[in-house]
Amino acid sequence: MRKKGRAVPEWLNSPIWSAPPPAPAPPDPYGADLAPPLPLKPPPTPVLDTPVPPPPSYEQAVRGRERGDGEEEGGAGAAALRAHLLADFKAALSKKVVNMGELRRLACLGVPDGGAGVRPVVWKLLLGYLPTDRGLWPYELEKKRNQYSAYKEEFLLNPSEKLRRIEESKLSRKKEINIERTGLLPRLKVTNEEHPLSSGKSSLWNQYFQESEILEQIDRDVKRTHPDLPFFSAKSNQESLRRILIIFSKLNPSIRYVQGMNEVLAPLFYVFKNDPDPSSSASAEADTYFCFVELLSGFRDNYCKHLDNSSVGIRSTLSKLSQLLKRHDEELWRHMEVTTKVYPQYYAFRWITLLLTMEFSFNVCIHIWDALLGDPEGPPDTLMRVCCAMLILVRKRLLAGDFTANIQLLQHYPATNIDHLLHIANRLRGTVAS
Amino acid sequence: MVLVLALGDLHIPHRAPDLPAKFKSMLVPGKIQHIICTGNLCIKEVHDYLKSLCPDLHITRGEYDEDTRYSETKTLTIGQFKLGLCHGHQVVPWGDLDSLAMLQRQLDVDILVTGHTHQFKAYKHEGGVVINPGSATGAYSSITYDVNPSFVLMDIDGLRVVVYVYELIDGEVKVDKIDFKKTATTIHA
Repeated sequence: MRKKGRAVPEWLNSPIWSAPPPAPAPPDPYGADLAPPLPLKPPPTPVLDTPVPPPPSYEQAVRGRERGDGEEEGGAGAAALRAHLLADFKAALSKKVVNMGELRRLACLGVPDGGAGVRPVVWKLLLGYLPTDRGLWPYELEKKRNQYSAYKEEFLLNPSEKLRRIEESKLSRKKEINIERTGLLPRLKVTNEEHPLSSGKSSLWNQYFQESEILEQIDRDVKRTHPDLPFFSAKSNQESLRRILIIFSKLNPSIRYVQGMNEVLAPLFYVFKNDPDPSSSASAEADTYFCFVELLSGFRDNYCKHLDNSSVGIRSTLSKLSQLLKRHDEELWRHMEVTTKVYPQYYAFRWITLLLTMEFSFNVCIHIWDALLGDPEGPPDTLMRVCCAMLILVRKRLLAGDFTANIQLLQHYPATNIDHLLHIANRLRGTVAS
Repeated sequence: MVLVLALGDLHIPHRAPDLPAKFKSMLVPGKIQHIICTGNLCIKEVHDYLKSLCPDLHITRGEYDEDTRYSETKTLTIGQFKLGLCHGHQVVPWGDLDSLAMLQRQLDVDILVTGHTHQFKAYKHEGGVVINPGSATGAYSSITYDVNPSFVLMDIDGLRVVVYVYELIDGEVKVDKIDFKKTATTIHA
């Protein structure tokens, strides 16, 4: 039956979208080796007339995993792919001046799990923390890490300690005060209203108490981050996360701290801290801070309350998602928005503000971030496409469901094959901006 | 960084109706971790008000207190310091520093907080420091009518204490501070 206006592209109606995730690919949260598909074909035009099956290598890789180590060709196929990809990454990273285009292309395929130590460097390059010229790396790292230490000095002391340091720097110039054995203690004047009960604007104490609410919130959220992972239960890691978020909130008064930033921070810190290179791992906190700032720069407007209803805030982002869906799958869009009234703000709010960290298991999320960070279109647009792809992937179930069922489904997004998802997202390339 | 409020000798409602407005506006809940009160509140309403500022409240019995259940002396440990609390009318002569030093040695504390004289004093001797926060309402004492409302806020940070003295002089709040440190055995300024 032909609808008026644009027909639904044939490839969307292909049965592959409704296939359940292949059974032998369990979403193993720790260390699953997902063999990425072969390099993608050049980006296709948005409207296609012929149904396109998923890349053939993916099927081979799946079959390889199905049969386990017994079958030579299948198992070897998957392992060979991984080794090949790892070699590609290492080659790209060992060049004197890293070719960003090549790196991005590789990153979109996903960093293979076998090569630990590759991912932290790749992410740092993709986020612009490390310059492309390898020779500059030591200098840049040194500079940034020193800057972070300076931030810690400035922002993490409580007023008592700050005032003591100021005094000590003054007193060191005077000679030692005579230590009296008995007598009235000398009274000193208090300058600038620097006392704990002060309500003066410039008072360190006043500022401290006003910020204490934010600090408490950060504290609570850090303790709740990924309680199932032992990495995040370690006190030292929690302290690092806390410090990063406090410094961020002080340096960004316009958005301060918003609940959920801890979730965005978690994968970054995890990847950098688990870098097998000891010097990188030791400075993971500083590196994570700057990469976090960089990552959030594309999404800042989503967190600013005042911009909620403006043309750049979270609402407009959600409506962009809606438009994107409408462009690619009008039938689904109509069913969601008009018939069942499942608006994006009910499900996509969390997808967008947390960058999908809560929709998938931790390891899967890191794989998605490989593509998110690597895509030349940039994280915000790529995220849009991935969200749209998530909707399209379950379209059969959505079309069959009513409001309640759909909300349930989307708020607890089912485990799916990530390569599949990223493949669909890739096909929507080039359509977000317009 | 622990903030401890020391005050006393309010004599509400007998000698004064309430704390001065300027003091009340400064004392808001959420900033202070402990309150130590030398005594002579005198009624339950004042006790409840202080409790609303901070749940950790320590009071010793003054001679006019209507609640008889407060103890005569109290000792507590905050951070690295031992604090002793006593109203002071028991120590005769009132306000005599040698006698207070005796009490301090008896209680074995680094900082002794007493009241009754309604005059602020911070005094150091070999055994430690004696602090008298004065009267928070400026109520007249057994000795004199000329009393300025005052109280004390101590910032205990490790081995160092900064004592902020708040006094209401001619309707204006004046803040001074006193600094002293503790070594392993003694206290020195």
